[in-house]
Amino acid sequence: MATELPSNIKSSDVLTDQTSSKWLPPGLALQKVDERIMTLNVGPQHPGSGHMRLIVQIDGDYIVACDPDPGYVHRGEEKMAEYRNYITNIPHLERPVIHDSCNVLYPYVLGVEELLGIEVPERAKYVRVIASELNRCIYIMYWLAIYGIFLGHSTMFMWPAGDRELLIDLMEKMTGARVTHAHFVPGGVRNDLPPNFEEVCLRQVAYFEKRIKEYAAVFYDNPILIARTQDTGVLSRQDAIRLGTTGSVLRASGVDYDLRQKEPYDVYEELDIHSNVMKEGDSYARSKIPWLDMMESCNIIRQALQKMPKSGSVRVKLKPNPKGKGLNTVYKRVESGRGSLGCYIVSDGKPEPYRVKLSVPSFRNLIALPYLLKGEKLGNMPSVYWSLNYWPVEADR
Amino acid sequence: MIGTATGIIRALNSGIKHLAIKRFTLRYPEEKLKFVGDGYQFDPSTGVGIAGLKGRHLLFHDHCTGCQLCSIACEGVAEAIAMVKVPEEHKQNKKAIMPQIDYGKCVFCGLCVDACPFYALYMTNDYELSSFSKEGLIYTPAQLQVKPYVAQDSEIIITSRGATHG
Repeated sequence: MATELPSNIKSSDVLTDQTSSKWLPPGLALQKVDERIMTLNVGPQHPGSGHMRLIVQIDGDYIVACDPDPGYVHRGEEKMAEYRNYITNIPHLERPVIHDSCNVLYPYVLGVEELLGIEVPERAKYVRVIASELNRCIYIMYWLAIYGIFLGHSTMFMWPAGDRELLIDLMEKMTGARVTHAHFVPGGVRNDLPPNFEEVCLRQVAYFEKRIKEYAAVFYDNPILIARTQDTGVLSRQDAIRLGTTGSVLRASGVDYDLRQKEPYDVYEELDIHSNVMKEGDSYARSKIPWLDMMESCNIIRQALQKMPKSGSVRVKLKPNPKGKGLNTVYKRVESGRGSLGCYIVSDGKPEPYRVKLSVPSFRNLIALPYLLKGEKLGNMPSVYWSLNYWPVEADR
Repeated sequence: MIGTATGIIRALNSGIKHLAIKRFTLRYPEEKLKFVGDGYQFDPSTGVGIAGLKGRHLLFHDHCTGCQLCSIACEGVAEAIAMVKVPEEHKQNKKAIMPQIDYGKCVFCGLCVDACPFYALYMTNDYELSSFSKEGLIYTPAQLQVKPYVAQDSEIIITSRGATHG
């Protein structure tokens, strides 16, 4: 791809490497300067979680093009996993999304179980489902708080940030840590539920559900929010499928695809799950789906507590350094707070995995952003950006 | 238009109602959270842990054999555990080495507790570990032996007027 120089720049003024002048990475190639169009670097700052830059070209107040530039918080989690054994990988692999740490660990744990051929006790499966659903709510509450502050709605920042405490308290009782739990291990969970947990859990989840229903009047039915988010960043059903979006973004565009229903893992097939779908595909629908998901999570927690075996082991005893059986690969995916999260593990019979690859929903949803922002007003950019349920740290790994 | 007006009034009304509802603010240094149990523990005979907060460690000198399994478990995670010489002698610990933990590196995952087969390393509810120097974060075996006193007085209380830390 030869680059054309603008008429006001002489070719002698431009430094080009002779060997690479034929091809330049996207974004580095010189472009024709249009006087009406201004390039705006939004970032690299810390907009909600992790550093992220959006290179936006604007014509007046309207966005002409947007080029998301992730990669500022790349930490090499996948490479690090190749030097650690299957157990010591656990605290590392939950770091990409610390608020959703049970769900980000879930596919890895399921994959290692299949590699090692472990059968998990029934009670552990239910404990995992409860932990995973509580964690999903904690993540969505954090996301919702940031969404509120992105729109300048400070009440919506304070309420979810406070009500998260109910569930963080439950997770602290259950796992011993408020944020990074390191609770799931191949073969079950680290510890059994504390005494009296079910009663406390039911009480706090019931109050939590009552609280999130109150958000409707102040946020979701608020005409100001509806005016700002409805019909902005519309993603049609076809485009959502073609761009490979997942999770709440896909379901907001009218595609009924929830992995807990379609590819049930652990005990999800024994639970009655209703997936929330909206047809609009705009920012409003994308912001409402996670809120509806939280109510569904509360239902799942109640069902799981009811159906859970009252006693029994929660963890299979493993050898100190478990090894995979020869050359083997496994791919497992789960529905996380943001969408389908996959983990691909290659084992070559050593205590360390040969390769661990996380297929993260944040990155897949980010692909849709340039298409959604074209023609939008610059003021709508924060609401469209955050409605994609994007988590920079997870996308960069 | 009327719909917009009523929507805004409903939102304001909902906000005003919440003026009377209790809040989640915990007045931290005066009030402290209540936890389940005495911290995370692990039973090597069954291979299952006991629920509790993953805080500062507690080392039982009369159980520790200096086998370094906790240090090996930490190698891939944080490299926070170093085995150091201890002056006193125990008959189960011929090498007289015990773990020393650097809380500047520790991530409180508790995998060292899972690795200990001799009931020697547990975790406690102590989470107030801040120090003015990096050296102050390094806990020697003698410091890890001390059982901490942790004040616990607040837990979540749900009433008809909202939930609060009691």
